[in-house]
Amino acid sequence: MEIFSDTIGGLISTSGFMGLDIRNIIMILLSFVLFFLAIVKKYEPLLMLPIAFGMLLTNLPFTELYHAELWNPATNPYFAPEYIEQGANVLVSFTKETSLDYGRVLHDGGLLDLLYLGVKLQIFPPLIFLGIGTMTDFGPLIANPKSFLLGAAAQGGIFFTFLGACVLNFLGADFSLKEAASIAIIGGADGPTAIFLTSKLAPQLLGSIAVAAYSYMALVPVIQPPIMKLLTTEKERSVKMGQLREVSKIEKVVFPIAVTVIVSLIVPSAAALVGMLMLGNLLKESGVCDRLVKTAQNELMNIVTIFLGVTVGATAVADNFLSWKTLFIIALGLIAFCIGTACGVLLGKLMYIISGKKINPLIGSAGVSAVPMAARVSQKVGQETNPSNFLLMHAMGPNVAGVIGSAVAAGVLLSVLGG
Amino acid sequence: MNFALSLLSEAAEQGVIDRLQAFTDSEGQSIASQQMADPDYWGSVGIIALAGILVVFLILAILIFFFWLMGTIFKAVDNKKKSKAAEKAASAAPTPAAPVIEAAEDIADNGETDQDEEIMAVIAAAVAAYSEQDGKEYRILDVQRSGARTRSAWGLAGISDNTRPF
Repeated sequence: MEIFSDTIGGLISTSGFMGLDIRNIIMILLSFVLFFLAIVKKYEPLLMLPIAFGMLLTNLPFTELYHAELWNPATNPYFAPEYIEQGANVLVSFTKETSLDYGRVLHDGGLLDLLYLGVKLQIFPPLIFLGIGTMTDFGPLIANPKSFLLGAAAQGGIFFTFLGACVLNFLGADFSLKEAASIAIIGGADGPTAIFLTSKLAPQLLGSIAVAAYSYMALVPVIQPPIMKLLTTEKERSVKMGQLREVSKIEKVVFPIAVTVIVSLIVPSAAALVGMLMLGNLLKESGVCDRLVKTAQNELMNIVTIFLGVTVGATAVADNFLSWKTLFIIALGLIAFCIGTACGVLLGKLMYIISGKKINPLIGSAGVSAVPMAARVSQKVGQETNPSNFLLMHAMGPNVAGVIGSAVAAGVLLSVLGG
Repeated sequence: MNFALSLLSEAAEQGVIDRLQAFTDSEGQSIASQQMADPDYWGSVGIIALAGILVVFLILAILIFFFWLMGTIFKAVDNKKKSKAAEKAASAAPTPAAPVIEAAEDIADNGETDQDEEIMAVIAAAVAAYSEQDGKEYRILDVQRSGARTRSAWGLAGISDNTRPF
């Protein structure tokens, strides 16, 4: 009988119930909210659902799947060995570095720690970009290179929000420069880019930034139209744009190579994202790598998406997530999206005037990436004003330019603040 | 644009950003509060934001120039090819084939607005492309599922049978 009660007692003491505190419970409930958003509301479910599940797993006590302390250089520092020969003996001295001890991660890490290496070592986001590249048609952008300007303007949201995050420090937000840059990249409306930059600059905010970025991307059809309508007149919105010229295959093949060379030479730190995006696109446009294209856009992309989602969700432990910073991040993310949209539309207006009323300013809002949702929003708002209007292909130009633009912006922030 | 790069390099030379980055949590104060106390904080924040957006514009402007140039060359080559082809076609007396356009508009009525919108966009694209070809303007007022409110095959056969003489 004693053995029985000891066994039961042992089971109870090692069960998760003993480790549950109010913070875990709040986080678990929050993961349920994300399940609702993913399954019922269909907010970017392919990523939101794994993120929510990662969040659930990491906040269940004693699961030992993810250890936040292994990912903090303060609690898991790397000691670089130095070997000094003294006759027959070798003395070893250790110097404490500011980087992580990955050996300990491999030794003590759980399943999600090991998968998280793909995020931390910046493997997953570029692989997602490879898949996106195989699915993207840069034809509209090649046919109308001016679209690049709109893709650049919409990145204004990133840099305005960077300023905004620093100003919010007066209200007690307490964001360092690296954190401010990571929050600002939400305005790029590109999940993998946001995760790429944040995992490098402010990994402690990864969970909240990823949730904010993907939620707002899903809300693009709600956030953008009021801003677009506010900033444009009915006359501007009803402008019809002519058909785009046909782009030859050689141009489509040259495009990814040229973009990679130009961007990587100027901002080498953007090469991982832009390079993989362009590799994917070249595989597709070359027409000789069908098998690789299929793998990159299906199996590889799906596998990486699962790993990325569940591990990013796992970083949302109560200590990191349940703070005022998360609320500030959610507010700043929305501001970043709104300003990005506004910047795109305003430059669209300028181009409308300069082009002699030939460019519909609505295509500017598509510059915030969020492919292809943002382009569809431009099409929809345009068609609401003028039913015979067809803006989708024109909006795809700024839309894909926005992907390149936000990757470049991330590269710039990384090169300035990543050191 | 050079201004942006010079701003960045100036800040890098002075090591201001490096100095701001070097703060750690260990001194009892958060990194952010230590950074804010630095006299060069706001200057650096401004430089990063301004230079950042300018560098993005600079790179995309270079890409615009490159692809504008490429587009111009390819258009010129294309026009030459076209004019050659037209010369050949004129000598061969072509017989133009009448374009056959078949439209199958079958929207699944499953309430998935996302899918509906995508299909609408595709239909709108097809109509826009067609309107460009024949120079007339079309507007899409409604897209209905094929088969809805139409007669059955037997009904149609009956009508055609009855109305054939007329």
